[in-house]
Amino acid sequence: MSSTTKTARIGEELWKTRVDKVNAELVTLTYGTIVAQLCQDYDGDYTEVNKQLDKMGYNIGLRLIEDFLARSNVGRCANFRETADMVAKVGFKMFLNISPTVTNWTSDNNQFSLIFEENPLADFVELPDDGRSQDELWFSNILCGVLRGALEMVQMQIDAHFVSDILRGDDTTEMRVSLVRYIEDEMPPDEE
Amino acid sequence: MYVSTVYSLIIINKAGGLVYQREFHSGLHKLSTNDYLVLAGTFHGVHAITRSITPRLPLASTATNPTTASHSATASLSVTSPSSTTTPTTPTPTASNNPTANTPSSTYSFPNPSVPASGLEFLETDKFRLTCFQTQTGTKFLLFTDPFMANIDVVMKKIYELYADFVMKNPFYQLEMPVRCESFDRHLGSWLRGRI
Amino acid sequence: MSYYFTILSPTDAPLFNIAFGTSKSGGDGIARFRFPDTAQYMNQFIIHSSLDIVEEAQWMNGNLYLKHIDTYPPAQAYISAFLTPSGARFLLLHQPPQLPSTSSSGGNTGSSSLLGSSFSASALGGGSSGRASSSSIAANPTAPQTEEAVRQFMNEVYENYVKTVMSPFYRVGLEIKSPVFRARVTAAGKKWL
Repeated sequence: MSSTTKTARIGEELWKTRVDKVNAELVTLTYGTIVAQLCQDYDGDYTEVNKQLDKMGYNIGLRLIEDFLARSNVGRCANFRETADMVAKVGFKMFLNISPTVTNWTSDNNQFSLIFEENPLADFVELPDDGRSQDELWFSNILCGVLRGALEMVQMQIDAHFVSDILRGDDTTEMRVSLVRYIEDEMPPDEE
Repeated sequence: MYVSTVYSLIIINKAGGLVYQREFHSGLHKLSTNDYLVLAGTFHGVHAITRSITPRLPLASTATNPTTASHSATASLSVTSPSSTTTPTTPTPTASNNPTANTPSSTYSFPNPSVPASGLEFLETDKFRLTCFQTQTGTKFLLFTDPFMANIDVVMKKIYELYADFVMKNPFYQLEMPVRCESFDRHLGSWLRGRI
Repeated sequence: MSYYFTILSPTDAPLFNIAFGTSKSGGDGIARFRFPDTAQYMNQFIIHSSLDIVEEAQWMNGNLYLKHIDTYPPAQAYISAFLTPSGARFLLLHQPPQLPSTSSSGGNTGSSSLLGSSFSASALGGGSSGRASSSSIAANPTAPQTEEAVRQFMNEVYENYVKTVMSPFYRVGLEIKSPVFRARVTAAGKKWL
């Protein structure tokens, strides 16, 4: 427990001292416009929109991880539980000023859920009333991609997807994250 | 004595390719581009090997008497130089006069199975010191400095931050490709100048 | 008191309509217009005919809330207006309840199928509950208390309007279909009017 609060303190500290702030509406509106435009470009094919958002997030994650490491100065996590804590309390805190709750661990410690009490990306958003978006579109799917990209850079292959979203009328917004494998340090064979 | 000279910086991507090379202060002989590429690749290989030969010592070894403890910790965790690794019985000057390299060994109880071996951290000659910083993503920053320069870790950290800001966040920078970001050059140059 | 609230775009396209009745003084929040069989289009007609006055009044001062700006005596309809900085117009038509002597509810039951549910309800409910609220302050459409209540209502709707048009899936200039917004306007009506 104490390590959890310590991690939370790291996140708080970074947010206060090391992070440049930007107007929340700017972020919200920019992201919302991107999603709406994707929905239009793909003609309401929400499965494809989800995929594109995830891909965009993945490319962000690959880059964002360096910023995270350079600023946070945190070391390698000893296990996946520590990683989850770091993601929720430092990562999300740094970049979105939120700390989703880590919960619903599986017994093998390889799967957990992030519960988002708040989600700045989804402020003001009401999904299109075409009768399908409520069942098909994961509005904040970019976050899954960000997580996947960032963790891949620190040798973790994960799968992340939303399982519920307040925007759809669910009670909570929940992302399920599962560790697929640790990527072994590959040493180029010709170097040996 | 002029002790904060930073001669040059090399960035090696995680596959061992040279992606950035820049000279800040003359004093070292210039190499041809090809030689820099060879240097990067060779260092990458040596770094990987030094990491793989890092011995897995039992935890108790860190709790032995101070003289042997400091030495064994140096040899195991921060492989300070090839010589100290290959001939552990001969203490190198590097190991004794550089306290910063030893600090990590006191914070970890190595070998902690979750903390991977770090590999080569610096090389030293009479005229310059080569410090290597590997990020958790596998990118390596190599800094050539004056051997007496202090606080290299501060410089390294700042360089990493600038890299994160101006290279990684540049949407037109392609990952793992050579860094050609004018704003990175500019900020790096002016920050280092400001330090001197 | 019965209300008809409309949002018009800067190009006069209707974006949103809602009819509701007072919730003060025991009102049940259901609109009971004086001429229920014609109210649906007459209300819109009256509101749109006040636009000329809105356009004049908007230059008189810098306020967003223009207060009571127009009256249509035949229907006892009073119009209050509120402008958003982007040029959308919020127009509220309010009609004090029918006096017992001019009751016309008796002959209208047959036409209720043409109207929305709230209007047909008015045809049945008629004058009795209207009389109940006739003594309240809000029953006088030009009283300062009414002006204040309408101002509060307009401000609350404006706040929610901003949030609604910020939704990335709302296209500017199109009808506001959001059920959330409708619920919030209804709530604001309940709270202030």
